[in-house]
Amino acid sequence: MAAVEIRRLTRVYRGRRGAASVTALDAVDLDVDAGSIQGLLGPNGAGKTTLVKVLSTVLLPTSGSASVLGHDVVTETDRVRRLIGIVFGGDRGLYLGLTARQNLMYWAALYGVADRQARARSQALIERVGLAERADERVERYSRGMRQRLHLARGLVADARVLFLDEPTTGMDPVAARDFRALVSDLRAEGRTILLTTHDMAEAEAVCDRVALIDHGRLLAVESPRTLASWVSRYERIDAAGVPLHVLDAIRGVPGVTGLGSAPSGATRIDIGAEGAAARVLQLLVAAGVTSISTSLPSLEEVYLQLIGDRGLRV
Amino acid sequence: MIRALTGAVRAQFQMTTHDLGGDLFNLVVVPFFALTFLAIVQQSGRRGLLGYALMAPVLITLWQMALFTAGELVNRDRFLGVLEAVVAAPAPFALVMAARTATVTAFGLAGFAESWLVALVVFHVVVPVRHPEVLVPTLVAAAFAASGTALLFSAVFALRQSARVFQNSITFPFYLLGGVLVPVAYLPGWLRPLSRVVFLSWSADLLRDSIRPGTPAGVPFRLAVVVLLGAAGMAVGWLLLHRMVEHLRREGTLALA
Repeated sequence: MAAVEIRRLTRVYRGRRGAASVTALDAVDLDVDAGSIQGLLGPNGAGKTTLVKVLSTVLLPTSGSASVLGHDVVTETDRVRRLIGIVFGGDRGLYLGLTARQNLMYWAALYGVADRQARARSQALIERVGLAERADERVERYSRGMRQRLHLARGLVADARVLFLDEPTTGMDPVAARDFRALVSDLRAEGRTILLTTHDMAEAEAVCDRVALIDHGRLLAVESPRTLASWVSRYERIDAAGVPLHVLDAIRGVPGVTGLGSAPSGATRIDIGAEGAAARVLQLLVAAGVTSISTSLPSLEEVYLQLIGDRGLRV
Repeated sequence: MIRALTGAVRAQFQMTTHDLGGDLFNLVVVPFFALTFLAIVQQSGRRGLLGYALMAPVLITLWQMALFTAGELVNRDRFLGVLEAVVAAPAPFALVMAARTATVTAFGLAGFAESWLVALVVFHVVVPVRHPEVLVPTLVAAAFAASGTALLFSAVFALRQSARVFQNSITFPFYLLGGVLVPVAYLPGWLRPLSRVVFLSWSADLLRDSIRPGTPAGVPFRLAVVVLLGAAGMAVGWLLLHRMVEHLRREGTLALA
């Protein structure tokens, strides 16, 4: 059963003062299974935040529909708001003059949580996100990472069944980000449905059951993280300096080599498009005495371009 | 609704007491107003206007605190990045704004004590409160009405940044029509009916009556008018704030500062 259903959802921002309109979401279709973690992966400006804003009822769609646990986000706004928790990215979104505990009590009140329950829940969340020792300190003295953790606690204070996490690890140090991922997995184990936006491939791979790729407001694909990881590793690239011409010819003939060009450093860049091809190319380079070799993975955007070009995905 | 109301009041109380120089700066001005008004009355020998001089700073403070708070809250929440989360919460947005505005305005009630103390300490005038049963409910009703009426302007100031320029000047017509310092009877005849729809005029009359000898007439009715005018302002303000939020959701500018 889908906890979140999105059908041909479109959002167009009207241009101001003669500027062109921008289509932030373009006929997006997506189902998020109940009790799963759905990743939404894409570069900045892809439309991830716009989608979360529409689902969390702070932005109206231009056309199409979306529902949360069967309730339409436009016509049943009040019902939807009682079912969702939101964590917007960044370290803003908190009252700096209040302590962590006071912030949580305030947000709990806005969700109609009784005082006694709110106190208990706030304490539990403060401990869960590792802020117990500084719970009664004003947020203005918190580091960016601490604010982010409190942000997450804020999103959970209403005990929502569906959570929208918009780039929640932005600004977190690696340890806190790892702890956060463990927490997200715990939340799934409790039966919550989570939509997590990120531009971090590793994060999506670590916690998500399925990942939707989005760019320019369009959904490119919905795949398992394992499939995505294989795509990225397949599109490896090798930079090598001082490669003899006859070796370049040999490399060009290796199955799975998709192109040869120049890296920004001036070295030769060899693009790989199939598993196993990288190993063969490296063998040729080493055998030819080439010693300046480096390998790297392409960025997500580059993978998108490759995918759109050679697989004809839903665009 | 009640939980959201009490939660908003509590949080705003915590924010205001934390930042004493922010929301409460109007209280610093009260003694200066009181000093000026009381000095004029003393020097002119018009002791009959003592009530005007004493109560004017109180009402001015209440109205300024309400109006400035209502005007600033939306923008402040936007600046902190919390506005979207507040709108996305189940509690009605206008209820949260009204509760927070009323909380800050309630601090303005301290203006009465300030004004009274200035009369005592500077001019050695003890102003007896002859009818505390009129004074206390009137102050509370005036604070409520100020908050309610200010909510009317909240949406305007949030939607039109240019309107904030008039935030200060918009208070003066209310003082004038409210007979806060200058008796309404001194105004041109055609202006006087207008003063009856301004909560300040009813509040000011009641407050002055509370320190006059004799039994004030029709207190329950006059108090009810103050509360009703405040409630009417709040109802319209509620509607305007709701429409403002819908407009911002449609335009996608809720988070934009």
